[in-house]
Amino acid sequence: MNRSSVSRRQFLGASGAAVVAGLAGCSGGQGQSGATTDTASSADVVKIGVLEDQSGNFALVGAPKHKASMLAIEEINANGGIDGKQIETYATDPQSDNQRYQELTREMINENDVDVLWAGYSSATREAIRPTIDRNEQLYFYTTQYEGGVCDKYTFAVGPTARQQLGIVLPYLREEFGPKIYTIAADYNFGQLSADWVKVLADENDAEVVGEEFIPLSESSFGSVINNIQDADPDFVMSMLVGANHTAFYKQKASAGLDVPIGTSTAMAQGYEHRRLDPPAMANIYAGVNYMEEVPTESNTGDGGFVDRYYEKYPDAPYLNEEAETNYFSTYMYKKAVEQAGTLEQPEVIEALESGIELGTERAPEAPEGETIKLDGATHHVDHHMWVMKADDQHNVEAVKNEQIPEQFLSETVGCNLPENPETTQYTPVDYFEEAE
Amino acid sequence: MVNGINLALQFLDSFAFIVLAAAGLAIIFGIMGVINLAHGEFILVGAYATTLSATKLGLPLAAAMLVGTLVTAAFGVVVERFVISGAVPNWIGQRTVGRDFVEPLYDRLADSMVATFGLSLIMVQGARVVFGNSIDTVGTPFGNIAYGAFSYSTYRIVLSGVSIALLVGVYYIFTRTEYGMTARATIQDEETARALGVDTERIYMATFAIGSGLAGLTGALFAPTLSMQPTLGDQFLVEAFVAVVVGGPSVVLGTALSGGVLGAIQAVFTNLYGTFFGRIALLAAAMVALRFLPDGITGFIETVQSRRQEGE
Amino acid sequence: MATDAPPDGGQSLAARVRARFEGPNTIGNSNGFWVGFLVAVAALVAFPLVGNAEQFSLFLVLSLLGLSLSVVWGYTGVLSFGQVVFFGLGGYTFAVVSINVSTPGGITAAVLAGVVGGGIGAAVLGYFMFYGGVRDVYVTIITLVATMVLHTFMAQTAGSEWTIGEAALGGFNGMPDIPLLKLGVGAASFQFMYNAIPVWVPGFGTVELDPFYYLALVLLVGTYLGLRALVNSDYGRAMVAVREDEDRTRMFGYNVKRIKLVVFILGGALAGLSGVLYAARNVFIDPTVFTLLFATLPVIWVSVGGRKSLLGAIIATIAIEYIRVTLGGELALVMLGALLLGTILFLPNGIVPWVHKQIRQNRPAPADAEGPETPDPTEASES
Repeated sequence: MNRSSVSRRQFLGASGAAVVAGLAGCSGGQGQSGATTDTASSADVVKIGVLEDQSGNFALVGAPKHKASMLAIEEINANGGIDGKQIETYATDPQSDNQRYQELTREMINENDVDVLWAGYSSATREAIRPTIDRNEQLYFYTTQYEGGVCDKYTFAVGPTARQQLGIVLPYLREEFGPKIYTIAADYNFGQLSADWVKVLADENDAEVVGEEFIPLSESSFGSVINNIQDADPDFVMSMLVGANHTAFYKQKASAGLDVPIGTSTAMAQGYEHRRLDPPAMANIYAGVNYMEEVPTESNTGDGGFVDRYYEKYPDAPYLNEEAETNYFSTYMYKKAVEQAGTLEQPEVIEALESGIELGTERAPEAPEGETIKLDGATHHVDHHMWVMKADDQHNVEAVKNEQIPEQFLSETVGCNLPENPETTQYTPVDYFEEAE
Repeated sequence: MVNGINLALQFLDSFAFIVLAAAGLAIIFGIMGVINLAHGEFILVGAYATTLSATKLGLPLAAAMLVGTLVTAAFGVVVERFVISGAVPNWIGQRTVGRDFVEPLYDRLADSMVATFGLSLIMVQGARVVFGNSIDTVGTPFGNIAYGAFSYSTYRIVLSGVSIALLVGVYYIFTRTEYGMTARATIQDEETARALGVDTERIYMATFAIGSGLAGLTGALFAPTLSMQPTLGDQFLVEAFVAVVVGGPSVVLGTALSGGVLGAIQAVFTNLYGTFFGRIALLAAAMVALRFLPDGITGFIETVQSRRQEGE
Repeated sequence: MATDAPPDGGQSLAARVRARFEGPNTIGNSNGFWVGFLVAVAALVAFPLVGNAEQFSLFLVLSLLGLSLSVVWGYTGVLSFGQVVFFGLGGYTFAVVSINVSTPGGITAAVLAGVVGGGIGAAVLGYFMFYGGVRDVYVTIITLVATMVLHTFMAQTAGSEWTIGEAALGGFNGMPDIPLLKLGVGAASFQFMYNAIPVWVPGFGTVELDPFYYLALVLLVGTYLGLRALVNSDYGRAMVAVREDEDRTRMFGYNVKRIKLVVFILGGALAGLSGVLYAARNVFIDPTVFTLLFATLPVIWVSVGGRKSLLGAIIATIAIEYIRVTLGGELALVMLGALLLGTILFLPNGIVPWVHKQIRQNRPAPADAEGPETPDPTEASES
């Protein structure tokens, strides 16, 4: 905890009216200035901070995350809270703005004194706030599917990694269609690292990357990309395009008549392109995901399952996406860890999480993606139940393959072991695999 | 790997994108001296109006596009009356306290930027509040043409035809109609034009409506090829500004020429080195062009012409 | 205008010092202003006792960026959309140097390197433009395009080939491993970040104060006073002459290109300093600083505050950024947009000059030496 803020609060409680009254208007930013010493009150409630985008560039994919967190919190509170304590929620819209994220993260930690924080959609946001998180030793859940490799004592990156997502869809497409792969990816960290993983997995699965192209995030014309794919004539394409502009690719490849199968870790499960775009834009696309609304498990689509509960609370919500499920189950993981630790003290809760929390062993409702979801204590990642979801030319989605895939990169290749060796590093495949060069 | 047809189609695609992105902005900037940072959001209005009239009202695509264009032009008139000219606030001001509240934003470049930036924030978030984070899209018409191992979306080729027709149309409006004559007189010398009985305020209003309508048309035309979300206007802004400034003072010719030059550069670099270098080349070309042709391409042409006349 | 003779004769040292900061190019040349100024500075010094100083330091840092545009645009008439280019260059240079040499001396050098980096960036771009005859709105667009180039470029520097020494540029995800800001050499150094100092304050008991806030405050107040002295000097008058009429200033024998270049470099260095502090405060820098939104912000601060007013730039930066950070809810961005729109429509010369005018009008007999009002804003030259 940040000492300066605690002392300021103590001082506020003691001194009452401020001397510099002229500046009172400027100090409204703390919001919580009425709060007195926190030791007494924080024992009665669990303070959860949720920073998910509801406006700006990431609103489309961030809004379901926010909603799913609220659903989990509401359910937990209705069932007696965490260890008998009700959850108090601090949720502000960061507007997809990293500067706002940084300020709100400080506010969550220093002013609101949250016990745990969920924040951020993009990797860039995570990296922008991670220095603040680590400095304040704040327990933090990052829930987006991402490139992988974050080995951080205070961060629990519980979304699936590139290796898990590509690791289910690439071998499937290799079996079905052949060995020649063409990679297209967004030209930034996530895309470049994912493309490296395609090379690693291609090597492991006896396939070959015949071409790759990186596309700036601001680009929305894909004529030459489509030509380049046709020129290379691959058996299938791996697409790690990201964001609103890149969505246009799927429309444009359909109208250009490019009908090669496409594997992806980014389309459909997050931005529900199969619902938003006119068919057949997403025809013949295979997504490697841990969750989509259409994942056919009993706890998901069954009567009174996750999907039912979500739309009961949010009847107008457009979609229930991959990250929403991750926010949802990780809230339950946190609950379980607190109850195991018997305290809200963050070092103890982290220790409890590191003991290997597992959800869904009794077919509980908290694990919509599969039978069980297991947190790997050494790496702070999750052994996910992964699915290959295929869209047909009417944009109906069906599951064609599923299996449990553990996080492998940090645990097996890097040897990240956070209980033994607390660090705050992000590792990349280039340092460990020749093929990724 | 260079394939002539690919390169030609890529050029047409870049050309159409740049010309369509820039046309509305160029007219408003060239004639009114207003930098419209909400230009992308006017495109958004056109795209949303088109898409919604096709999906919700069931209009055929061509009719929906016409609706999109007209809705944006009408919206432009409202913005012009309320914000750019300040006519409505000033009318209220005269009725209530007997004086004007605001000065028109004509030729106040920076102020018009701040005002329209504020407007764009309101419009993006307004669209989000009203329509949600995305709306359903309409499909792309016309299928594709195939050649050898390649195929290309027919609609994207049609767009380049439309962009040329649009340039011809705008050229006609500005050189052959009475509005065009008076508008050009107003750019040359507003005071004199007014003294000669030109209603400059109406010219400005009509200009803003035409510029907005063109932005709306751009949104309408690209609606079938893009995904629909409130930030969709952003992707047009850079190309639009670069093209307008590289084009220089002569609006129509400038837009056509800069679309041609920048489109060619982008197409060649994209085709040879990929999308990233295509984009960097476009931006670098713009900077170099402005460095050596500080008044844009048409400014350069005018200088050469006047020099030649002096020489004779 | 050139003869500054306060009524008290300009005899005393204080009066002569004060005269340096006063003149027709700044508002606030009265006793009342300076009293108010001292009160405001004192209030800012005391602010951490009652408010969120950790957050407020961001606004102070960004105010330096606002000032850099105010001097370049408001006083010299060069509307630069690219102050964030130099801001970002400063931040990135600081990050790269400090990561490679993370001793206190190295970090201090990194601060200087960041400032110099911003200045050099401005020198290169400024020379390219001003000596190439680029003027007016074309300067605006070239600087805007420069931010776009840097954004597109920096976003794709994720790979390991983009490493300078030990510092990876980190692409879109930015550079998270910046060391904590220390100034000094060896043992004679002081850590400014995350180093709350317990201080006993009468009436408040022992409070812990954030040294970074005070560093930012000192730099901001110093910069403000320095720029006041500059714009009221002979050179400042030449700058304003360039703003009002470039051609006529050239006729009078001034080297307009050089004036513009020098001010542009100064603005670049100042933006670089702001960027250094920004990166140091967040212990992080990423290409967000080169986005269109971030590039637009300085123009907005300065327009809203009053571009011919240094004080306006500071006040508007603090106010707008405070609103941006704290305003929540679905309609937050709509309200911000409406605020900008309304301000520019109804107070076209900015808030601070308007307030200043109201104060002067309500005080019919100004007893103290106020310079003549800045010539009525003629828009002719600045666009």
